[in-house]
Amino acid sequence: MVVPLNTWVLISSFKLAYNLLRRPDGTFNRHLAEFLDRKVPANLNPVDGVFSFDVLIDRATGLLCRIYRPATAEEPAPNIVELEKPVVGDVVPVIIFFHGGSFAHSSANSAIYDTLCRRLVGICKAVVVSVNYRRAPENRYPCAYDDGWTAFKWVNSRSWLQSRKDSKVHIYLAGDSSGGNIAHHVAARAVESGIDVLGNILLNPMFGGQERTESEKRLDGKYFVTLRDRDWYWRAFLPEGENRDHRACNPFGPNGRSLEGIKFPKSLVVVAGLDLIQDWQLAYVEGLRKAGKEVKLLYMEQATIGFYLLPNNNHFHTVMDEISEFVSSDC
Amino acid sequence: MLRYDSSSSSAGSSSGSLSSSSSSSKPPQQDIDGLLAGAGYKVRSSELRQVAQRLERLETAMGNSPADFSQLASDAILYNPSDLACWVDSLLTEFAGPPPTCSSDFIVDPVNNQTVVNSAWTAAEPHTPQVHQNITYEEQQSLDNQLTVVTAMEEDSGIRLVHMLMTCAECVQSGDLSLATSLIDDMQGLLTHVNTVCGIGKVAGHFIDALRRRIFQGMGGGSVNGGSAFENEILYHHFYEACPYLKFAHFTANQAILEAFDGHDCVHVVDFNLMHGLQWPALIQALALRPGGPPLLRLTGIGPPSPDGRDSLREIGLRLAELARSVNVRFAFRGVAASRLEDVKPWMLQVNPKEAVAVNSIMQLHRLLGSEQTRNSPIDTVLSWIRGLNPKIMTVVEQEANHNQPGFLDRFTEALYYYSTMFDSLEACRVQPEKALAEIYIQREIGNVVSCEGSARVERHEPLAKWRRRLSGAGFRALHLGSNAFKQASMLLTLFSAEGYSVEENEGCLSLGWHSSPLIAASAWQAVPARDNHMSSS
Repeated sequence: MVVPLNTWVLISSFKLAYNLLRRPDGTFNRHLAEFLDRKVPANLNPVDGVFSFDVLIDRATGLLCRIYRPATAEEPAPNIVELEKPVVGDVVPVIIFFHGGSFAHSSANSAIYDTLCRRLVGICKAVVVSVNYRRAPENRYPCAYDDGWTAFKWVNSRSWLQSRKDSKVHIYLAGDSSGGNIAHHVAARAVESGIDVLGNILLNPMFGGQERTESEKRLDGKYFVTLRDRDWYWRAFLPEGENRDHRACNPFGPNGRSLEGIKFPKSLVVVAGLDLIQDWQLAYVEGLRKAGKEVKLLYMEQATIGFYLLPNNNHFHTVMDEISEFVSSDC
Repeated sequence: MLRYDSSSSSAGSSSGSLSSSSSSSKPPQQDIDGLLAGAGYKVRSSELRQVAQRLERLETAMGNSPADFSQLASDAILYNPSDLACWVDSLLTEFAGPPPTCSSDFIVDPVNNQTVVNSAWTAAEPHTPQVHQNITYEEQQSLDNQLTVVTAMEEDSGIRLVHMLMTCAECVQSGDLSLATSLIDDMQGLLTHVNTVCGIGKVAGHFIDALRRRIFQGMGGGSVNGGSAFENEILYHHFYEACPYLKFAHFTANQAILEAFDGHDCVHVVDFNLMHGLQWPALIQALALRPGGPPLLRLTGIGPPSPDGRDSLREIGLRLAELARSVNVRFAFRGVAASRLEDVKPWMLQVNPKEAVAVNSIMQLHRLLGSEQTRNSPIDTVLSWIRGLNPKIMTVVEQEANHNQPGFLDRFTEALYYYSTMFDSLEACRVQPEKALAEIYIQREIGNVVSCEGSARVERHEPLAKWRRRLSGAGFRALHLGSNAFKQASMLLTLFSAEGYSVEENEGCLSLGWHSSPLIAASAWQAVPARDNHMSSS
């Protein structure tokens, strides 16, 4: 199994850094984590056709979102009062993005996620809203989901994000790793509240369960990830005393809630063949199917975690094409 | 075992359509892996394989380590995480002894010239649907008419106020002073409908005042900072207490100075702006506790002359001497009175060639930038004699803002963002009356940026990226502030301040900001030994 050299260096350095940050007693070296995380500021000057700005959407929790918009030919760099100028178009997809990091790492302004969100703008001709949700272990379940929900309501209520066709905001939810997990739960809450979500895009979503699956045993420690670290992150996120069959972790498990009869959006789920939690991800897809929900599975056999962070492999391009089609098929 | 493909170091140069938020010009070092650069890491393509090997060694070393590695990691001090090779080596040293020599000595190239703008405040309150969309500068005339119709919603008024401020600034820039004046009146009226105790209303009021002063005093600039040195010191002190910016500056600089003085028995700190000497008790105490005992500490404090015959510099010096005596640190103080930094000559500092020198500049260098870009401008002169002192370290803290652009509108816009962020952060402050006086301190800064020109305009803030270029060009190289300083700065924040402040690391420099907007940046420098140098080399 071969991975491009720069990808290997990137993911390995994350792995090693993360090993330093997790303490056996369940606490997290947040200072060192923030020191090591490579961050980038927002940029009103368009770069490759995309500009970004940060918005504080909930003062009480300090919830920030970074908004990415395509630059238009007329405005070389938007003015302060034009940041929230209405989107132009009959149908403009708005993707609410939740970054990964196993609920504990990274931020909306992490360089890797800033780059990914910018790509999504270009690929989907969309506005992307990246949510800087509160992280574990300082903020356990349900904080991340609550923040996702707050961001969702905020996006849904922005008149400047409405598509001309029906004066509604066309929302997609997307995320990788823990972000994928959050996207699922926010979608469930949205449909319960009667608000439409047009689609879910889950990249290597983080799910799990008490049982040790075959893929977990087979791939433990082989491709950057260990069962031990997975267990640590769940312990850090889930309420104390709960196990991995909690609904948050295992939505179709023994404590899960059925989605039958609920208008759950169509899903695009990407699974990396070298990801040790793939059995849980595949079980998630199966759970959606059984409940009669539309789901497309992209199983990338030779892909490791994080393959979508650098555009230097075929899996990357395949997935980006599929995402583009998934989002545009509503136009 | 997962292998990497070392034969194809793929997609080496930065691909045009998929770069990160840096500007689209390629970095001069062509060999840097463009994809990793987009992820925030500087690694030469030619060194990728070595870095990979070091990562493998580190993994093995960590695997062999009997103690838990998070504890060992806490003891390691890491520098410049962007330089992947070097921080991996720092960790390797902790776990497995010294690695082969670290060969990645990048000249810190400034992060490119972005205009970073914060708009967090625009959505501080939820917006009602906007009633006045699509107003462009061309529609100024109808705007005047519209402004007489005032709606009840404060959020709308806030946005309108901002728009008018921008329009007014544009009028000032283009010389249309009559329209600018009428806009001032309208804005003053609008202010009554806006909450001026906090948020946009508060900062708008200060900007309206500054614009008014500029318009009515002509382009000669007014004496905004008419306050005496004594007044300025009081305001500074309250700014110090009310928010963490100055504490961060002092703290970070002291940490770097302490590390630079390690192993030296005679040390000399030159403080470019002594004020009340608030920075120095902490350093004196830290030196007192140094393993091996404290050095002999000399402090030279520069400050404005006292008008009334008092020698305020000496008074501060005496107080610091008392403190030093109480902790058994041999201490000597010298005051240098000068109204401007460029009036100081190096001989006044009486630097001894045997001592380790630290030059400390907290928000002073920008005052030297003056409007003329002549060859022997004050900044060049001063940087040159600093270099001549061959300091062990020069600590530089500056506002992270672009307030020295030639175009007035650009400067105004930047200042509006910057100071509204700063005021926003001040709202989180609990302590009165420090807060009120701190606001006056900031208000004076705004006044200088907006209503002064020429030699009167001393608040010529430039962002870190520009300082990096300037200092590198003047023969200095960056010393990295490390994870230790970062951690302690973060802890300081949790102790002293409200939620919302954040410390960030950027290629060896630290910045403190409000939410994700950096407002003040700290860096450390050393003179590069001159090659064809006939003076003593280091």
